[in-house]
Amino acid sequence: MSASVAAKRLFQEYRLLTNDPPEGIMAGPVNEDDLFSWEALIQGPEGTPFEGGVFPAILTFPKDYPLAPPTMKFTCDLWHPNVYPSGLVCISILHAPGDDPNHYEHASERWSPIQSVEKILISVMSMLAEPNDESPANVEAAKMWRERRKEYEELVRQNVRRGLGL
Amino acid sequence: MAEQTLSIPQLIAVGLIGFFLIRWLFFSPSSNAGNRNAQASGARQTAARRVDPQQVEQVAQMFPQASRRDIQWDLQRNGGSVAATVERVLSGRLEMAPPSFQPLNLTPSPVAIATTTSRTSTPHKAKYPDLITRYNLGSRVKATEAAASSTSPAPASKQGWSQNKTERQSLMQQRKEEMILAARRKMEDKDKQKAP
Repeated sequence: MSASVAAKRLFQEYRLLTNDPPEGIMAGPVNEDDLFSWEALIQGPEGTPFEGGVFPAILTFPKDYPLAPPTMKFTCDLWHPNVYPSGLVCISILHAPGDDPNHYEHASERWSPIQSVEKILISVMSMLAEPNDESPANVEAAKMWRERRKEYEELVRQNVRRGLGL
Repeated sequence: MAEQTLSIPQLIAVGLIGFFLIRWLFFSPSSNAGNRNAQASGARQTAARRVDPQQVEQVAQMFPQASRRDIQWDLQRNGGSVAATVERVLSGRLEMAPPSFQPLNLTPSPVAIATTTSRTSTPHKAKYPDLITRYNLGSRVKATEAAASSTSPAPASKQGWSQNKTERQSLMQQRKEEMILAARRKMEDKDKQKAP
């Protein structure tokens, strides 16, 4: 029952995203037979070292979506303070309310059924531009971003080029 | 008469008794435990507070996306129940360990050491193939390079929604490929502008 609700909602979001995609974002099911696994492509925001890059990610939705948030995992080399070395993205919109014992994040920033895939991807795009230093997922990247910004940016640019096969 | 019962020597006596009572209550058990630890390898005391690294490893291998720290945090909170932690990870409810949480005995197995060191020491090494390889765009890259002299603008990718499932799927694929190729073209153009 809940799985069919989730599938309906995902299908609707897929249609909306296809008809009216936000700038630099593309997302949809890897295979329409399984609506719970999506691939997204995100362009690097301009004016950042990620500019010009295209970053693929896999979104995995739970069966009780939209009650619970999906997980998002980049399937490319992404050097960023809020992305685990495994590629898993750590931002507040992907956390269900109540997941944060320290109350770093406001409830309004976190996942709720009124959020959407589009909002997640837009948040991730702005996360690329502005890392959140408070809860780093990749401690080394966070350190580099904080202390050796030049090196960080150079590394990100190298990954962007390599991702495009240049 | 009631005031006189609280004389200074009595106060001192009460204070001394209190002091020894507190000392006995709080300090002797820990020193005993310390002795026991030293003698009996401290298995019980550490089990209460710490988490078996093997359990952490077990869960971490099942779910490489979950961080060891979060797993340890969860195991510690539920008293070392691997099944409960697995259940939480599966349902997507594994919580982030608070920053104040210090993993006490992060002495992972040799396998874990190998993976973490390889991970930390090679953040610069590519783990993934580039998008051109992944989307099989090699031939199209060459085609555009051949036609680069004319610098034709990118063909406008078809927008919109198709009622047909397979058509939708192929449209999606096409638009993804366009996006990647366009990004690559843009980057190459930038390089050319920089070079001369």
